[in-house]
Amino acid sequence: MEMAGEVPTRPGAPGDAVSGLIPDLVVTPGSAQEVSAVLRASSQRGWSVVVRGGGTKLTWGAPPRHCEIVLETGRLDQLVEHEPGDLICVAGAGMTLGRLQSLVAGAAGYRQRLMLDPPQGDGATLGGLVATRAAGPLRARYGTMRDQLLGAQFVLADGTIARTGGKVVKNVAGYDIDKLLVGSLGTLAVLVEVAVRLHPVADSSRTVLLEPLSPSEAGSFCAALRRAPAVPSLVEVLWPERAVLVRIESSPEGAERQAERVVALHPRARVLDEPEARLWEQRVEGRPWGGSGPVVGISVPLSAISALLELAEREAASGALLELSVRGTIGVGEARLVADPQAVSRTREGVEKLGGQMELHRSGAEVGRLGSASQDPVARRLMKAVKTALDPGDILAPGRWDWEA
Amino acid sequence: MVAMALAEAPRLGLNADVLAQLRTIVGSDWVLTRPDELRTYECDGLTGWRAVPLAVVLPSTTSEVAAVVRVCHRQGIPFVARGSGTGLSGGALPLTDGIVIGLSRMRSVLRVDLENERVVVQPGVTNLEVTRVVEASGYFYAPDPSSQRVCSIGGNVAENSGGAHCLKYGFTTNHVLAATFVTTDGEVAQLGSSALDSPGYDLLGVVIGSEGTLGIVTEVTVRIVPQPERVQTLLAAFPSTDAAGRAVAAIIAAGIVPAAMEMMDRATIEAVEIAMHAGYPDCGAALLVELDGPAPECESLFTRVDALCRDAGASEVRVAQDEAERARLWKGRRGAFSAMGRVSPDYYVQDGVVPRSRLAEVLAKIRGLEERHSLRVANVFHAGDGNLHPLILYDRRAPDGPARAKALAEDILGLCLDAGGSLTGEHGVGRDKVCQMPRLFSAADQEVMHRVRAAFDPSGLANPGKLLPTPRLCGEHPGIYRPHPLERSGAAERL
Repeated sequence: MEMAGEVPTRPGAPGDAVSGLIPDLVVTPGSAQEVSAVLRASSQRGWSVVVRGGGTKLTWGAPPRHCEIVLETGRLDQLVEHEPGDLICVAGAGMTLGRLQSLVAGAAGYRQRLMLDPPQGDGATLGGLVATRAAGPLRARYGTMRDQLLGAQFVLADGTIARTGGKVVKNVAGYDIDKLLVGSLGTLAVLVEVAVRLHPVADSSRTVLLEPLSPSEAGSFCAALRRAPAVPSLVEVLWPERAVLVRIESSPEGAERQAERVVALHPRARVLDEPEARLWEQRVEGRPWGGSGPVVGISVPLSAISALLELAEREAASGALLELSVRGTIGVGEARLVADPQAVSRTREGVEKLGGQMELHRSGAEVGRLGSASQDPVARRLMKAVKTALDPGDILAPGRWDWEA
Repeated sequence: MVAMALAEAPRLGLNADVLAQLRTIVGSDWVLTRPDELRTYECDGLTGWRAVPLAVVLPSTTSEVAAVVRVCHRQGIPFVARGSGTGLSGGALPLTDGIVIGLSRMRSVLRVDLENERVVVQPGVTNLEVTRVVEASGYFYAPDPSSQRVCSIGGNVAENSGGAHCLKYGFTTNHVLAATFVTTDGEVAQLGSSALDSPGYDLLGVVIGSEGTLGIVTEVTVRIVPQPERVQTLLAAFPSTDAAGRAVAAIIAAGIVPAAMEMMDRATIEAVEIAMHAGYPDCGAALLVELDGPAPECESLFTRVDALCRDAGASEVRVAQDEAERARLWKGRRGAFSAMGRVSPDYYVQDGVVPRSRLAEVLAKIRGLEERHSLRVANVFHAGDGNLHPLILYDRRAPDGPARAKALAEDILGLCLDAGGSLTGEHGVGRDKVCQMPRLFSAADQEVMHRVRAAFDPSGLANPGKLLPTPRLCGEHPGIYRPHPLERSGAAERL
């Protein structure tokens, strides 16, 4: 296979496989023009392209049907602009989150951060975080990339190089194409550059732990926390530990006094000392990706958090559910299950019965596909129309969404 | 005289059969066709643009909206959805060859679900009404455009409305979770979901802010948030906008994100004093800073903001001691636009965005433009997010008055774009700025938007001529009379 121009190219190897598909070529473009050349050539030949950033979330969504080309974004990693006074940063889509955080951490006397702490975050790239909408515990306060992305440069399957949004926080000019790209799992465009919003890092923090709890106690505690005069940046409900971990980040006085208020919500809640807080934070980090087995993303209405924990108790007792983490103030989390299709579909049915949704982030092939585009037939038709409009040849990660579900 | 010939061609009117279909759907009282009735709808908040539609249809349910859109789709009739008509970019400007679908009868709050922090409303419900139904329970709806008493949630969705507090709380897009959506061929879709992370593409994310060009929302599920325990507001007087700008930079550098940070220059302060005696200090620039949140955090940060303002050269810092004083401090800011009516016969509100760090530089250049165009500009803006609202004061009866004001407004926009900002921070593109879009977006950028548009609306009937420029809108001049496509198809005739 010949690829246009001077783009570095090598043959695919077993280590490059995406869901078992070994690509013919791995290409590493270093500019928007090179990405465009790769995509034009692929479009003409009908080759399917899967984008790889840090390679930490290639299992998200349904497995692609074909993968002739893996397009690596590692060379698209330059810092374009960091304006601390504007709390914004523009960087190549292939820059890792770890590198971005270290670049913006202490520049010019400011202390700022991109407020995302996704699983395997240090090695995850900005483009990958847009494509997967991956987030971690901090989502409870700061949301996902959907809330941080200000603009992007991207390339369509036919090689069109385009921009959306800008680098200012407030901007309503034109369609918000950013939102389509967030969570699109590499099926609409290849990201080249992203502009993100940063947040100041607070001076002080306090961590509160409450354990052990029954599902209904945990649900009530989360409900009370939502109404309490405290703004935690992290509220992690951990099962089967039956614990809730709360972190407050604020001014020294603000952190201290808000932590007291959180403690006052339950007789067993207590402020952790520094070493113990560190220990629990480590336990939260990267959960539940540590062990083996399918990992699913779960969201439920706030009122169904207790019921979700009851479901977790049942499934844990039967051995089907291994770990669950839920952001207790927004009803979003992840679970690790045993590699058993029945356990996965039973959990999914349970979650949907609660008015929630479940998507597959890591599967064994035996678990099957779980990437339905939408339950609503008209919405699904519109999604398909958007996909066809931007990628008419269906070359970008074909099959990531199950349109017929 | 070609344009004259066009202007004198008899007005189009919908034919009797189409009108009968529309009347069957919504009832004959709710299809307006009399010229005096139609004139009520000829413009939105941007009154410089006017057009009388063929008819105004006022449906009351999702299925009526869908049925009306199906008639439009079958007959090829363009339609413009309209909420309260307070938009400032001509987004709800009617089409002379289309109908207006007014959503003002759909004003029910359908569900208040405090446990899940959700409220479901019809699109005609006003922004403030959402807060009203939950405030006694300790919640509020965060987006607060200054027209919040009258503007509708449907319009907020179309424009992705923000408000003075969006620096901290975000925009409509951060607060709308789901919507019932009528597609341009009259089907009904559920977009998003009340729980987070609905599967598939974020269609709702692109519908929000699409200015009615992708379809019509007929039910909206919004997130409500608990009221902050404490709100603290101060007004600091500075000798100049530069000094006030230094205070803004220092507050941000200190890692403080205020709920709102609003600046007014001398011309604005003088106007609000004349118009409403707001009691503002006599100074070169006033900075209004509001913090909110848990009391311990809010109080400690507020003390620092006060000190940072004084360090930056504030001659006076007024702290609101109660809700009445807070309202007084906000009074001048909220009334700034209307106050201009007292000091100038006419004014045009520009809406541009600059990176916050370039504020001082752009303000200085605006002063240069004032001299060059011999017009005064009053500046009032959201300093926290760099969203400028220069008010260009002019007299429409003066020679070239409106044209000069427009030229100055466009030059200011050029300054914003040169500084790396945006065409519009909250008023939208609409008809007003549609031909400015190429100044910010390349042909390829626009092509992507056109493709998305076509995915939702292949026949281009939903609010055509807004947001996305076309050669016909922005380049070509009106030509000789040719039968309108609606005439050729028989859906309309010249009256």
